[in-house]
Amino acid sequence: MKSLITFILAILALTACHDPRELTPAPETIFTENGLHVITSFHNNLTRTISVLYGNDDALANAGKERDAHTPGEVLKLITWDLKQNPLWFGSNINGRVQSVETVTVSAGPSGPVIGYAKDGNSQKASGNAVSGNAERISFIFAQRASVFP
Amino acid sequence: MNALEKHRYRNAAAILAGILFTSFVVLQANSPQIGNPPVTSEFHGPEEVTRILKRSCYDCHSNETNLRWYDKVAPFSYKVAADVEEARKRFNFSEWDSIPKADQEGKLWYIVNMIDAGRMPLPEYTATHPSARVTPEELAILKNYVTGISQHYAAGDTARIAEKARAASVPKSINGIAYFDDYKNWKVISTTGRPDNGTSRIIYGNDIAVKALEENKILPWPDGAVVVKVVWNSQAPDAWGNVKPGNFNNIQIMVRDAKKFAGTEGWGFARFNGLDLKPYGKTVSFATSCINCHQLAKGTGFVFDIPTRPQH
Repeated sequence: MKSLITFILAILALTACHDPRELTPAPETIFTENGLHVITSFHNNLTRTISVLYGNDDALANAGKERDAHTPGEVLKLITWDLKQNPLWFGSNINGRVQSVETVTVSAGPSGPVIGYAKDGNSQKASGNAVSGNAERISFIFAQRASVFP
Repeated sequence: MNALEKHRYRNAAAILAGILFTSFVVLQANSPQIGNPPVTSEFHGPEEVTRILKRSCYDCHSNETNLRWYDKVAPFSYKVAADVEEARKRFNFSEWDSIPKADQEGKLWYIVNMIDAGRMPLPEYTATHPSARVTPEELAILKNYVTGISQHYAAGDTARIAEKARAASVPKSINGIAYFDDYKNWKVISTTGRPDNGTSRIIYGNDIAVKALEENKILPWPDGAVVVKVVWNSQAPDAWGNVKPGNFNNIQIMVRDAKKFAGTEGWGFARFNGLDLKPYGKTVSFATSCINCHQLAKGTGFVFDIPTRPQH
């Protein structure tokens, strides 16, 4: 009797399982860039994240160069998603839900360019030392070089 | 029923049986023969991998087809012969080394994914040959194997490519799909990292494609939807594990036109390789291999790289 119940439960559990290939679109993960261009993209298997860096015309022009100077007017946005296995292809990883949107802006100040940094997303308040953390993120974002497009 | 009617029925039954028997004999006599051509350049892999492939794939995808007696009985023999012929055309483990190394890798990933999706070995084949089934443990062995052979990264650093090679004129695929630049103004619908073939990708969709995703109207996708995938070779991970795009590899375009591309599930395919955007495919039939693989994404309208969540 016990084994019969176990058997019935197992059958129920099996039929309740969703086919991993039965998917529905998740358009909420699509970022609306409002006139920004793709600069580059990268993924990280250690942090299980995947990112696309966007920028306006000025930012795109500077992202192709090997120098650290930045001109007022540049806007950069780094979108980071969860990285998940593509349910349709073993061997491919694809973006999942949006984790964060980081924005770096360069504006003119009285004694040279002023760099602004903002972060929206779930882990916004996680950073212990906000100022040094921001500086690290700003230089990381500035360090990205533009991908070559045809 | 009187005696005369009984007699008539008996006669009719006898004639019918005679026709069936004669047809059966004729079918047997004309039954296709499946030969086993010589094994010229066999697949070599770890023993445990080869054992699985031999048991589950070799009956059709090799020159070592082992027919059971019931495979040779018409009318089944006709179906078996057609399946073996098609299977050997797709890939043949007995002539494995005759295809380039990169293609071998690609095919192995394809094989693993077809098994993973339950599409191979063919369900009608495993129904009569149950020993050919691949167990979850065996699938894990195959997944480990393909993952292990595919650790390659490009040395190219995007930032160091100063001069772009430019295509002289607008490149056009043999099926009429031409390259265009406008996708750069479209929305990015997804981005992928492919450890299987060492590439990084950004996937764009035009307004029609994005709207179809937003309204969950992708079965089928509306005519006019276009999806563009830009592919770079991945660089080796940096000290923090970031895998960045290296040299540009190719650009792939999918154009939805249910009538024009009816032969490939309503999708037109094009691929342009390298910065000179050399169109891929010498004959229009190149798209058959595209759609064969995209069958794995049937549930999302034959498009692999769209943002999804499990259906509830």
